[in-house]
Amino acid sequence: MRALTRWLWLASLIASLSGLAPALAQITETEVRLTLDPVMAKGSPTAPVIIVEFSDYQ
Amino acid sequence: MLDQILTEYRGKVRLVYKDFPLPGHTLARPAHEAARCAGAVGKYWEYHDRLFQAQPNFERADLLRYASDLGIPAEPFVRCLDGGRFRGLVEADIQQGRLLDVTGTPMFLINGQRIEGAAPFETFKAVVDEALRNIR
Repeated sequence: MRALTRWLWLASLIASLSGLAPALAQITETEVRLTLDPVMAKGSPTAPVIIVEFSDYQ
Repeated sequence: MLDQILTEYRGKVRLVYKDFPLPGHTLARPAHEAARCAGAVGKYWEYHDRLFQAQPNFERADLLRYASDLGIPAEPFVRCLDGGRFRGLVEADIQQGRLLDVTGTPMFLINGQRIEGAAPFETFKAVVDEALRNIR
């Protein structure tokens, strides 16, 4: 990435996988690392709240 | 509407835009690349806003005209767009979206809290307020 890239945060998704019995239910957690391009960001770089927008021009 | 959030929560909220051209939108991907090319000369948000105003006219000639309208030098812009300078970064955004199970747009994450589709200002305000409470 041309501009400085830093890790934005770790967004966690939780997916539960059920087996034959509830007691056997497994939970897996996946971390998704999002890159941030400062050119495509607005607002204070030190803001405590970050809104990430996935969008489509068309 | 998000500009209203940024204004109301000045210093507390940052907006990060991620490219997620949907598979069926064949003209969207070059439009996303073009916006990044505009960003390379400091005109990202102007071009971004222009694209939303111009939907769905995203043929190559349209993209070049929007750049020209914004005073973006033609030669480096054409080289950037035709050379696919930002193709990989747009694809990287798409891959990140897929990992988050993004299937439609817009999709928002507010400190991890998900909002699917267009939502009213009050919805964003409530989620931002909650995020700020969780930080304190």
